[in-house]
Amino acid sequence: MIGGVTSPTAPVATTGYPWPIETTRLANGLRVVVSEDRTAPVVCVNLWYDVGSRHEPPGQTGFAHLFEHLMFEGSQHVKKTEHMKLVQGNGGSLNATTNPDRTNYFETMPSEHLELALWLEADRMGGLVPALTQETLDNQREVVKNERRQRYENVPYGDAWLRLLPLLYPQGHPYHHATIGSMEDLNAAALETFQAFHQQYYAPNNCVLTVVGDTTPAEVFALAEKYFGGIATVDGIPPAPDGSLPEPATEPAVETVTADVPAPRIYLSYRTYPFGTLGYDAVTVLATILGSGRGSRLYQRLADGSRIAQPDYIGSYGVDLAHAPAPLIITATAKDGVSLETLEAGLADVIQSLIDEPVTDEELNRAKALLTTAWWRQVSTVGGRADTLGRYTTQFGDPSAAADRLARWLAVTAEDVTNAAAETLRPESRVTLTYVPGEPA
Amino acid sequence: MTLITERPNPGAARPYAFPGVRRLEKHGGTVIAAHLPGQILASSVLLLDASAARESEGREGTATVLAKSLEEGTKSRDSAAYALALEGLGAELSPSVDWDTFRVGVSAPVPMLTDAVRLAAEAARTPRLDPSDVARVRDDEVTALRMDWAQPGPRADASLRKALFSADGRYSRPLHGDPTSVAAVTVEDVLAFHEAWMLRPGVLLVAGDLDALDLDALAEAAFAGTSGDPLPLEGPLGVPVPDRRRTILVDRPGSVQSTLRIGHRSPERATPDYVAMTLAATVLGGAFTSRLNHLIREVKGYTYGIRGSYGMTRRSGRFEVAAGVQTAVTGPAVADTLGEIRRTQEEGVTEAELEVARSWRAGQLSVEMQTPGAIAGALASLVVHGLPDDYYVTLRREYLEASVEQVSEAAARHLSVDGLTLVVEGDAAVIRDDLAEFGDLVDSEI
Repeated sequence: MIGGVTSPTAPVATTGYPWPIETTRLANGLRVVVSEDRTAPVVCVNLWYDVGSRHEPPGQTGFAHLFEHLMFEGSQHVKKTEHMKLVQGNGGSLNATTNPDRTNYFETMPSEHLELALWLEADRMGGLVPALTQETLDNQREVVKNERRQRYENVPYGDAWLRLLPLLYPQGHPYHHATIGSMEDLNAAALETFQAFHQQYYAPNNCVLTVVGDTTPAEVFALAEKYFGGIATVDGIPPAPDGSLPEPATEPAVETVTADVPAPRIYLSYRTYPFGTLGYDAVTVLATILGSGRGSRLYQRLADGSRIAQPDYIGSYGVDLAHAPAPLIITATAKDGVSLETLEAGLADVIQSLIDEPVTDEELNRAKALLTTAWWRQVSTVGGRADTLGRYTTQFGDPSAAADRLARWLAVTAEDVTNAAAETLRPESRVTLTYVPGEPA
Repeated sequence: MTLITERPNPGAARPYAFPGVRRLEKHGGTVIAAHLPGQILASSVLLLDASAARESEGREGTATVLAKSLEEGTKSRDSAAYALALEGLGAELSPSVDWDTFRVGVSAPVPMLTDAVRLAAEAARTPRLDPSDVARVRDDEVTALRMDWAQPGPRADASLRKALFSADGRYSRPLHGDPTSVAAVTVEDVLAFHEAWMLRPGVLLVAGDLDALDLDALAEAAFAGTSGDPLPLEGPLGVPVPDRRRTILVDRPGSVQSTLRIGHRSPERATPDYVAMTLAATVLGGAFTSRLNHLIREVKGYTYGIRGSYGMTRRSGRFEVAAGVQTAVTGPAVADTLGEIRRTQEEGVTEAELEVARSWRAGQLSVEMQTPGAIAGALASLVVHGLPDDYYVTLRREYLEASVEQVSEAAARHLSVDGLTLVVEGDAAVIRDDLAEFGDLVDSEI
């Protein structure tokens, strides 16, 4: 057990990453991160490509995510559907995700199949374009449209995130549009655009390869050179549009949606600080004090106290985006017979309390204890660890920076939380999205 | 640019091992613990014979209301003090109810686990259950269920369950009840359920670094103040499968997708065919490259994903295919689904498909069992189904040794395309006519 504990309510960790980390960089620019752990006979291979929906120009929303789907449809030496078959057929689990910041691909395998995973990833990094066909694009476009229906359109409140982003970020900002994109843009997607997308961004020098688990740095470095070493560097990768913003917003934004929803619900949101900054560490602690768990202020005051909010649907959380001030989202759903005005006033009071009422030691310790458990849960699998190291290497240039995050959360003071609240949670910076039950207009 | 053209061969596999299991009979109960050296977090589950199956007719959801009432304060502290005490350890309680058990789970950093288990037991054994709190939790649960039932899925699930288990009482109703049955739950129901089922010792499962955990202290924390012997086990419910297909339509006006729930009964978890059935379902609808997902997502583009599986509890089982498909292609998607089920039932599986299924299921025993929470879940299966401590090693070997003949025979025996019940939840005005060809069509009463 690493990271001693001094008292039952104030866990102190000396490091948030008590495993070894070794790195190298291939001549073509691919950064390779290895963290050995022999506990279980499994290994995770994770690639972070530094391309997300923030890179998409107008008219091409949803392209980074649709492209992620195409990466599973075969490459130069891997037939269509063979990627999935080879990973699952050798005992592995795999997936990929796209968000505004980046696209990640990962598979956890029984460790004897490490080399297979690296071969598959290298083949689709270096050899996707020859395998990309119109038929594949058309099929995956339909799959993505079904994903949009299933996640956002067919679910009550499902489009909240799609509506919040344009309220939080101005037209032209890289976070203004949602990663899933629009149906219109997806319908207009042409094969050539995706070929160009791959050639532009899926380059070794735009990627971090992280391997965690039952292997050695020497083995991984040699295999990385063998499989990825022959892939050419891409010069002149265009940066994403600038995400800097005057923080915080000075005009409130309000949207009210009448929809087929079972109860009135409010989302309040604010732009805070970019993930990775001291300010965002304070916001992370703030969000936990405010809205995580039954001991949080929102639960205690609105679900348990005045009983105006449904206990299962109240909370707050930050969205960990690194390239612009990241959103804090606060949500509550009215209990039967409670008006939206009452709920909104209750939320506003609790938010204001973060500025007016000092955070107590008990609240602070509770939040830090929950964040400590959440951190260790995140790094309890080789997959969680690989993704964490890939993130810190991509976004901060250093995987070992991951070790500091927990300590930085634990160093946040009550005053830091109050200051963050005073600076970011002003009424004039608030985004308010309200759902009212009724016939859609 | 040069890529390596040859797919690499696997290296030498390390032998599979499940964590070492220790059993301890102490303080009136049983502790079953798995040793995970070096793990910073530990998980614990108090496993009680207080499942949803013990609820009274018309009061389905009683156990769920009780589960949600446990944190409304205990005999020794109020709800706010309880939340602060537990969350101050970095722990959160996760009470849950299923068809076989009532579980009270808790995870925390290793040094906090005993205190967290003591608090979990305090809530499970001596909850305050103030009548006004229980009534409020019940009302909140009705509202939460209404919220949940506004999503696609729950009504279709309830319609299929009602059709498949119509003669089996409690099993014909949703696991957590429905808004009407929960609204009928009284404070007395909840108190009586607690009194009747929650005070026997049960079994405490522990997954974590046992060198740093005191199992005796954990047993004392979990079993203090309990009494009573284990309850007798009831037998399986059987496998009635109708001789003709039927379709149940659940109207969801304006829905942009149709939710499919297609299934029939199957044997319970103890069946000797468990491994072969699991592999057959993996070929049909389990893996990403399964027949269903390949055809309906990757070839046709009708869905974001489709799954087929056997769900097996201690007393019952069912085969089920679940998917959300675009409204306009509801009929073709159902036809293709039935086609793949029929092909699997009648023609069995191929060696190439089975090889993927075998390796995947065997590998998942390592890949998906890395965390204390996952290991505690695996221990729970040992207890509920009466399996030996070395079960997962045996299971892995059986997966890897299963033959095409065994798996194809299991598919023939445990799939019945003509006995399926098809539940389709979608825009009835648009899809009704498309469903006529699949058998008798009725509108759901749910």
